[in-house]
Order: sequence, then C-alpha cells, then structure tokens
Amino acid sequence: MDFWREIFMALSRNKLRTFLTGFAISWGIFILIVLLAAGNGIMNGIGDEFSDQRTNVYMIYSGETSIPFKGHGINRSIMFNDKDIRFLETEVRNVDQVSPRIYINGFATLGDKSSSVFVSGVRPVFKGINHVELLEGRFVNEMDEKNSEKFIVIDETLRDKLFGKDTSPLGQFIIINSMAFNVVGVCEAQGRSDGGEGYVPFSTLKKITRQSRYWMLNFTVKGLETKEDNEAFTESLRTQLAGLHEFDPDDTSAVYIRSRQEEYLQTMKILHTLELFIWIIGFAMLISGIVGVSNIMRITVKERTNEIGIRKALGAKSRSILASIVTESLIITTIFGYIGMWLGMIAAEVGGNILAKVQEGKEISLNIVPSIDIRIVLMATALLIVCGVLAGFFPARNAVKIKPIEAMNYR
Amino acid sequence: MIRLEKINKTYFGAQPLHVLKGIDLEVAEGEMVSIMGASGSGKSTLLNILGILDNYDTGEYYLNGKLVKNLSENEAADMRNRTIGFIFQSFNLIPFKTAMENVALPLYYQNVGRKKRNELALEYLERFGLKEWADHYPNELSGGQKQRVSMARALVTQPKVILADEPTGALDSKTSAEVMQILREVNQSGITMIIVTHEKGIALRTNKIIHLKDGVIENIEINNPDLIDFSKEIK
Repeated sequence: MDFWREIFMALSRNKLRTFLTGFAISWGIFILIVLLAAGNGIMNGIGDEFSDQRTNVYMIYSGETSIPFKGHGINRSIMFNDKDIRFLETEVRNVDQVSPRIYINGFATLGDKSSSVFVSGVRPVFKGINHVELLEGRFVNEMDEKNSEKFIVIDETLRDKLFGKDTSPLGQFIIINSMAFNVVGVCEAQGRSDGGEGYVPFSTLKKITRQSRYWMLNFTVKGLETKEDNEAFTESLRTQLAGLHEFDPDDTSAVYIRSRQEEYLQTMKILHTLELFIWIIGFAMLISGIVGVSNIMRITVKERTNEIGIRKALGAKSRSILASIVTESLIITTIFGYIGMWLGMIAAEVGGNILAKVQEGKEISLNIVPSIDIRIVLMATALLIVCGVLAGFFPARNAVKIKPIEAMNYR
Repeated sequence: MIRLEKINKTYFGAQPLHVLKGIDLEVAEGEMVSIMGASGSGKSTLLNILGILDNYDTGEYYLNGKLVKNLSENEAADMRNRTIGFIFQSFNLIPFKTAMENVALPLYYQNVGRKKRNELALEYLERFGLKEWADHYPNELSGGQKQRVSMARALVTQPKVILADEPTGALDSKTSAEVMQILREVNQSGITMIIVTHEKGIALRTNKIIHLKDGVIENIEINNPDLIDFSKEIK
C-alpha cells in the first residue's frame, strides 16, 4: 500500500511529463493495433474468399513444349481434347469430376436491347469449381449437357441490360449470335466482363463452335489433404499427360497444372509475410515509444538522484528503489499502453464498419473488416510489460549503483 | 561504541588519492565528539565510512560491537537504518513530502505501519516544537525548522549514534546555538554524537575535538563545554 502511494506520488509530481511519456507508448500501441487489425482484416477477407470456393479444385492449361522429345521439336503447343477428359475421369486416381471450359465472345439481343456477352460452355460441376452463386433458377445440369440443350444461365449484369432489374428473365429467350437460348437461371456477376456473362452446356457450345481442342480443363479431386499429397498428384498427373501427348515429363511448360490449394497456400504465405511486416512496423513504432519512456525515466532518475541518496542514507535498500522505479515505468507503459490498445480497437471497429458500408453493393466485395483477436491483445500486453520493465530497469540500475553520499551531493 | 583500527581509504581516479592514512579512533557510548579539519583533510570521507555510506580499503571498523566490513548492500542499509541517525548540512529533506512524512521515512524502511509511523513522527516533531508544522512542506519552513525536522528524522528510529555533517553550516549563529543546544540534550539522553565541522565554536561545544589533517589524526583535544561562556559571539 505504501509502496503504491510512493509510486503514485512520484508519477503525479510531473503530470505533463508522465502524460507525454505515456502518449508515446499509447501512440505506438495504437498504430500497432490498427495495423494488425487491418492486416487481420485482409487475411480474413482473402481467407473467406478461398473458403467459400473449394480448395480441392485443379486447373490445367495448355502450354508449349520447351524440351525436344521423341522427334518432336520445341514450341509445340499441347491442347486438350475429349480423350483427355475421359482419361482424367477414368484413369487418374483422385480425380472426381471434370469440366472443360470453352468460350465465345458474342452479342446478345432481346427486342431492341443488346449487350456484348462472354459465353462459357461448361459442365454442371463447373458451378462448384468456379463458385457460381445462383440468384434464381438453376444452373445447367446433366440432362442439358446430354441433350445439348440451348439453355443459358445469365449473370445479373446481362439480366439488367436486357430485362431490367426487376423482371425475371426465367423462361424467356435471348438471341446470341443469331441463336435463341432459353434462360434457365440468373447468377451473381463475377465482374469478368463489362457486358455480362452466360453459361451454356459444354456440349451445346462445342457443337456450335465445332471446337475439339480445349486449352483449359477444370476438375475436382478428393483424398488429397496435404501439400505433399498435392505435389505428388501434380507430378504423377504431369507424367501421365506426358505419355498421352508425347512430351518430356520434366517439361514443366508443356502443360500448366495449378491447384486452388496451391494458390491458397501461396497467398497465405504472402499474407503471412505481410503480417510479419506489419508486426515489424508496429514494433518499430512501439520501440520509439519505449525509448521515450526509458529516456524520461533516465531524466526522472537524474532529477531524483538527491532523493535516492537520502533514501539510501535512511536505510532504503537498492531493491526497493529499483522496484519503485521499474514499477513506475511499468505503470506508465501498461496504463497508457492499454489506453492506446483500446483506442486502436475502437478505431479498428469504426474503420471496419465504415469499410463494410463502403463495400456494400459493390460487385467485388472482398470482406476486409478489420478485427483484433484476444491473442494479439495478450501478446501486446506481454510486450508492454516486458517493455515497461526494460525501460525502467536500466535507468534504475544506474540510480542504485551511485553511492548515497555522491547522490546527496548531486546538484 | 565506535572503534576504528588502521583505516585506510584511497580514491582511485586519474590520480590515486590516499585520503585516510591509518586512522585509529575510539568513541565510547554516550560521548559527544567533533571532527575538525580543513577541506581535503579527509573528514567527510571518515564520516561516510562511519555512516557506512562508503567502504574502506584496509583496517577494521567496529560499530556497536559489530565488525563493519564487506557488508552486502542490504546489510549495510539495515545497519544504517537501525543504528545510525544522520544530520546533514543541507538538511536533505525530501521536498515533496511533509515534515511528518519526512520524519516517518526511516520507519517506512523498517516496515513500520503507516499509522504507527505517523504517530511516532508527530511525537518527535512535538519534542522539537514543530507539531503545528507537521503538514508543511520543507520549502515552507525556515532553516532552523528544517534542521529540527531532520533531527527528528535522525532520532525517530532511536539510533545508537548520531552522525552530523556540518549541522549548522547553513544556519545563522543564533539558530546554530539553538541546534547545538538540542544536540547536547540529545547526547545527554545517552546517544553517541559525532559532529563534523570546521567551525571552532561548534567544536568547542563537544567533549572531544579530533583534529584531522591530511588523512591522519593530528591530535585529540579534550574539552569541557561547561567552562566556556557561549554568551559571546561563537562565530
């Protein structure tokens, strides 16, 4: 009790200085928290983006050979065909469902309204692979695929242009490149095309365009849990495709194999680097605050040299002087640190709400809502305590080392 | 009460300075002695060693029958706190504490409770006629009052020895005489008193005057203050 009275007295003797010192710490923690919250927001936003897509998705793209193989030269482009699709479906382990993707840039009209449109021919599984969110109606299904139906799922952009916002286009016919398609569903826009987007059954578009070579295949996998599983799968797939298309299995540019999981892991790696960076910046800010506290404690101790000398002469032990100075510093850092932390959290919360409002109604809605979790608060607390002790300890140690008689004569 | 045997002390600076050169001294319990000497004679160093504020290089120092040598900092602090009371020329009161809090401070380091501490402090302030000033800060007190507060602080722990370093150095002659009178009374209650001074008039009020010169005791003068007429100017 007496101990705390002494400390409180010491702190309240120079209120302005105590405040300014504390402010540096508050500011450091404030910035650290805001930065971390923003970083967290970005991490969560991107994490979400990945989590509502499926991470068990693979994409293979055609490429060009770069190594001569069995009499073939280089720069031979490797395209996929129906054989590859069947092969993937039946021969390759872990492959679940396959959807090739072909597309055309077309022109859609309805009465006197028209719009450019990007039409993809896909299989039903594509909905899950590419995270297509339906607003009404349905996606193309197996029957459509089998019968090469002229059905189309349009996105909201195209719907707005042709039908207007409040009209349901279901069951209506639109003309694309002089062919009539029956609208069976409306989906969210993914913002890839200004004009709008549409999905038709793969077999339908294949017939229309007479394409038999595809540059991109999408498929889902099952039973691949770890990074190692995925790497092994990618390697074995490349080897098998190499056999099919006669290219060197070591030729990584012949076909490109990408997995969503790989993308996810890569993105996360970048994000973790970002997080580290944020910690470093925040920490650097904090350090300047701590140096401030340490400096002020040094000045305080200098000013109090006389008093420390008197106390020692009257029987104060070094330990008690050390303890009181370190505690003073600790109190400044923790109290002001917590003020900074709370302000930082409030700022993050308010900023988050504002961002959430701004993002509402936008097409690309990456959910960047800053947030702070209890672990960071605990970590920052521990950091503050360590810093407070360090900031006080060195000046205090110097203070108690001085002989009482020298301290008393110090002016 | 105090016994010094061949105390040597050298300050090692750019130029090593041999300050005390084999001091032998004995002060019995209840004695009142003064240490005189020009500046640089080593009297302050001697007082610091006596007060366990500084250590010595060789020799032996017995305080109250105990050898004071190679004490840990904590032991030294404890011994200072319980055995010795200090009175300083510049009073060395803590400016942001009231007279009462200043007096109570040594008891704080004995872990005496606050209530008890303040009671004792008030009692001692009363003895020095300062009860009404208990809640005043040092800068509201006159020099004589400050010195009386610091005397109360020195006595509150009931020490065996009072060490006074130029206790009247900052006071006018009238107040000096008063302070010396109080110190004599304190001494008569049985507390050993050692006063460092360079003022003859002050030294003459003690029973034994130790003359220090260049780190050695030049001579010890036995004195009887009762035979001196202090009504005349003492400075």
